[in-house]
Amino acid sequence: MKSLIVKRIIAVGIALSAWELLPRLGIIDPLFIPPLSQVVVTINGLLESGELPTHTLISLQRAFSGLTAAVLVGIPLGLLLGGWFPRLQQGVEPLMELFAQANPVILAHIIIFFLGIGEGAKIFIIGWLCIWPITFSTIAGIRDVEAQLVKAARSFGLGRGSLFFRIVLPAAAPAIFTGLRLSAGYAFIMLIASEMMGASSGLGWLVVQSQESYHVQRIFAGAVVITALAVITDLLLKLLERRTVIWTNTGELDICDTHEPKRVNLYQEEAP
Amino acid sequence: MGTVADNYKDAASADAKIVVRDINWVFHLKRTRTEPARDFIALEDINLEVKKGEFLVLVGPSGCGKSTLLDILAGLAHPTSGAVYIDGKQVSGPALDRGIVLQGYALFPWRTVRQNVEFGLEIKKVPKGERKAISDRFIKLVGLDGFADRFPHELSGGMKQRVAIARALAYDPDILLMDEPFAAVDAQTRENLQDELLRIWEETKKTIVFVTHSIEEAAFLGDRVAVLTANPGTLREIVKIDLPRPRTNSDIRSSAEFGWVRHKIWELLQNHQPEVRGAIDSRPVADAISPSAEL
Repeated sequence: MKSLIVKRIIAVGIALSAWELLPRLGIIDPLFIPPLSQVVVTINGLLESGELPTHTLISLQRAFSGLTAAVLVGIPLGLLLGGWFPRLQQGVEPLMELFAQANPVILAHIIIFFLGIGEGAKIFIIGWLCIWPITFSTIAGIRDVEAQLVKAARSFGLGRGSLFFRIVLPAAAPAIFTGLRLSAGYAFIMLIASEMMGASSGLGWLVVQSQESYHVQRIFAGAVVITALAVITDLLLKLLERRTVIWTNTGELDICDTHEPKRVNLYQEEAP
Repeated sequence: MGTVADNYKDAASADAKIVVRDINWVFHLKRTRTEPARDFIALEDINLEVKKGEFLVLVGPSGCGKSTLLDILAGLAHPTSGAVYIDGKQVSGPALDRGIVLQGYALFPWRTVRQNVEFGLEIKKVPKGERKAISDRFIKLVGLDGFADRFPHELSGGMKQRVAIARALAYDPDILLMDEPFAAVDAQTRENLQDELLRIWEETKKTIVFVTHSIEEAAFLGDRVAVLTANPGTLREIVKIDLPRPRTNSDIRSSAEFGWVRHKIWELLQNHQPEVRGAIDSRPVADAISPSAEL
């Protein structure tokens, strides 16, 4: 486990050093890719001027509103379609696939026509893309619940409702988490897309504005902050996953994980 | 309906705990590229009685419908015709008078050993304090004290099956239905679990119906062994096992009598044919919880 952390630190270190050194050595034109240290200085300046905290807060609000809306709609929708109306689900599946592929950015004009140019449209654009991974993974999670588990639970004489909430839902939780993490990633991608269209605040707007004035350091500063937010969000979700879905070992933390997987082999079969 | 009840009254002996009357189980096979659609008879005219406190083993080749028969006893499957009576009352669905242990353990992975064992007690709405005392007792009974707060994924196969047995016993059902419970563990563990099961059976005085495809296991465990043959699944003969009890910690497996019983069952099983698998296990989850599901 220790060596894994070392490997990971080395990999990140090499990438960051290359970012610093290549522009400085003139191998890459610093006009296009400024060295890391300049970007850090720019981030620091934006922090001090108060611009960065303001825009970050606004962007976070939008991303999480969209994601929350997707969770509030996606999970119940998945539960209904996967659990209660499987035949309806089979029928509407192609339609849902179509919806999932419909890029809200292309339809932005129509969305803005209905919802205006304010927050509603942005949250809708983010939420629209985030709903589908959550819904699909919830449906898949329910469909793939081990038949033996349901059989065992039914043998206790459980009614349909308790069977669903006590067995099927917890058994589907790992899959639901997978969808949730996928959606959280989408939320940050769509956040920037939505802020690039008719916004006057947010990190996406900061990047677009810097592009227009060809302020390369600020473009990279914005990109670094957005990436960091997405990575931190994913880490927090992994942490939450590991706390809730204790029985799978998929919730491993990527960056600084010192946690040994708790798969103790208790092969002292006849010990007790 | 009246005739079925009359049949039951006519035929059942006084000390019968479970009475199986004229069970038929037919399922429809869909048309495939090579074969037309047809009805497949998985169980044909099964009649059987299990006495109170008896250890009955159902043995047969895979596909003879023995697991389906167990599902019918559990109330998880409804026979095409015929009926099952427990204490003279017709079975209409699953209930807490029967505990079931499946081959794949089917433990709830998000629950600890203790929480798994207490599941039936929660359904029965036993108060929390009492639950703990009961689960303690049954965890001890299956030899898992010290593992109460472990999760199933931390346990070996044999230990998981012990938890499954404790879970099925904890809410005190009269009958324990076991579907090839030891088929997935290694030979050594298997013999240990068989010994344990006999000990637990003698201690708790449950009526046990045990499904296996192992002749040796059937001969070692059962008071009687019902031999089923496949295609269609019929009850060929019931062999009474007169081996002395307790059978644990003895050299019974190497005795001449044991060899004779084993050979007798083996002979009965000889003219069987290949199988078509029953439908219950492959049923999608959604079918079990959707409003149109049969519960």
